[in-house]
Amino acid sequence: MSNFRTNQNKSNTNKINVILSAVIVILVLNVALQIWLLYTALNYTLDNDTGVATTAFFGSLLIFFICAGMIYYLPEGEIRKKNNLFSPSLQKKDEKLRQ
Amino acid sequence: MNKDIKNIKDKNEEETWSQDFPFHKQNATLVGRREFAKMLALVSGGLALGSGLVAAKANFFPKEKVTGEHFVCNKKDIPVGGGRSFIIQGSDIPYLLIHLEDGSFKAYEQKCTHLSCSVYYKKGTGQIVCPCHNGYFNASDGSVMAGPPPRKLPQLQVIVKGDKLFVTAPSIESV
Ligand code: FES
Repeated sequence: MSNFRTNQNKSNTNKINVILSAVIVILVLNVALQIWLLYTALNYTLDNDTGVATTAFFGSLLIFFICAGMIYYLPEGEIRKKNNLFSPSLQKKDEKLRQ
Repeated sequence: MNKDIKNIKDKNEEETWSQDFPFHKQNATLVGRREFAKMLALVSGGLALGSGLVAAKANFFPKEKVTGEHFVCNKKDIPVGGGRSFIIQGSDIPYLLIHLEDGSFKAYEQKCTHLSCSVYYKKGTGQIVCPCHNGYFNASDGSVMAGPPPRKLPQLQVIVKGDKLFVTAPSIESV
């Protein structure tokens, strides 16, 4: 049965590709931010200024959680979904496809 | 039906191991974008951990302060525009005591804040120079004037008692 979602997916075939690229761009930006935070924290620590290091650490940790969250939204792609053994509904679909 | 699932399972398992250990070289060098994204998240975790270590070091294991006054040498041992390196007992950090043209004495760590090369006072210029990558520091307060060093030189306070020169930890205002 076709529904809104499948129609959408059929008409925008590039969507997953774009989402994946966007996720990667965001991750790269986040990692760049973290490198900068680490570098700055190190410099201030060696200059005997401890406040910066603590703040930078919490900032860095927050960014890491954001990155981990983004991984959750990584689109799986159709091929992987089809082979998914852990989702009963997808398995049924799969069986139908094989008949 | 059971057999069907088993077949799918077998096929799946085969795919899983051949993803991890592909026998075609081409597949082995191929890093998918999903793997790349996951690796970025891992790197992000590593950087957060690194920041945590820096914060722990800053808060729980701070750098030891110089305590007490330490005799370095007599005034006449250092000519105007000259310098003398020394270490303080109980630590292995090299320091540099310089005699500026205006008659004042200054003491700094001798390690460049860039990559720890040893710095020297360039006579008549008011500048401390690092020869490794042309770093320049202001001799009167240790601040960076030019070059790659990211921080100013750590300073010690010089105390002149009669003819003798002592160093001690910097007072709060001068930091
Ligand atoms: S080590 Fe001093 S400028 Fe690089």
